[in-house]
Amino acid sequence: MSEAATAQAGTLTEGSPYGIPSRKLAIWLFIIADAATFGAILFAYGYLRLANPDWTKPFAFSPTIVNGIVMTVVLLTSSLTMVAALAAAQSGRTSTGIRWLGVTMLLGTVFATLHLREWFAMIAAGWRLFRNPMGGSPLFGATFFGITGLHLLHVVCGVIVIGVIALEFRRGRFGAGHVETTALYWHFVDLVWMFVFPLVYLMNVR
Amino acid sequence: MTAIAPRRHPTMKLYVVVWIGLILIVGLEVLLTYERLPAGTLLACLLALALVEAALAVMYFMHLKYERPALFWSLIPYLLFALVLMDHFWPDALRLMRQRLHGP
Repeated sequence: MSEAATAQAGTLTEGSPYGIPSRKLAIWLFIIADAATFGAILFAYGYLRLANPDWTKPFAFSPTIVNGIVMTVVLLTSSLTMVAALAAAQSGRTSTGIRWLGVTMLLGTVFATLHLREWFAMIAAGWRLFRNPMGGSPLFGATFFGITGLHLLHVVCGVIVIGVIALEFRRGRFGAGHVETTALYWHFVDLVWMFVFPLVYLMNVR
Repeated sequence: MTAIAPRRHPTMKLYVVVWIGLILIVGLEVLLTYERLPAGTLLACLLALALVEAALAVMYFMHLKYERPALFWSLIPYLLFALVLMDHFWPDALRLMRQRLHGP
């Protein structure tokens, strides 16, 4: 490209009105759309829960709520390790950043494992998408497995994406900006759980 | 083209303070649950606490507090508006189900 053409292109290109790279704006737009999706299903669940006075309340403090508290602490801690990874990546400490990304992946995997263990225990007790072994509304299984399943899918995708980003960050193909974009997604997954745990678990204690 | 200036981020100490705050709110939610409040009251309390948690996470962990205000005003009010609309239309959807016309 000639110098004149380059200068002309420079005058025609404006900076981001938000002062952020386009990939970061894109992940914010995705987060807002995904938040609306979770908002819709949580609103639907909230209305179902309040409209049924005889809604099944199957969760005992131990093991379900204790397990839920542990899962919540694990996920919140993974957000903390993610900000540590981002801080390291932005200050050029690549190996430290990769280590923190690894810890975040490990915590995400622990969360998913605890979640699946709980699912399998419920399935063994006779719970299905549209079957309630306690004789109440069959919608309990649909809402519980639907909402927590969608969230679990986000967690599993997040763990995989963090792994890919960490690998490419180590190879030098991705930079701190990519880690930041992934961190935004991971914090969003954490944020959604802050609504799922009280609404789906705590609202259904015996 | 204007360069994208690096933004200041919170210190690790502040992140840890926010993390402790979030853990404490979770503890408060569990305590409230065993106060045996009516379902509607409990739901309102848990939602309010979850909103505080979400605000802390978005502002500090997701750094929205440290971005240009334009980003906040372009994203958050519209999401809240969409959620309020959902809250408004869900009961209406139930009303429409009751009004369904039956075939001959």
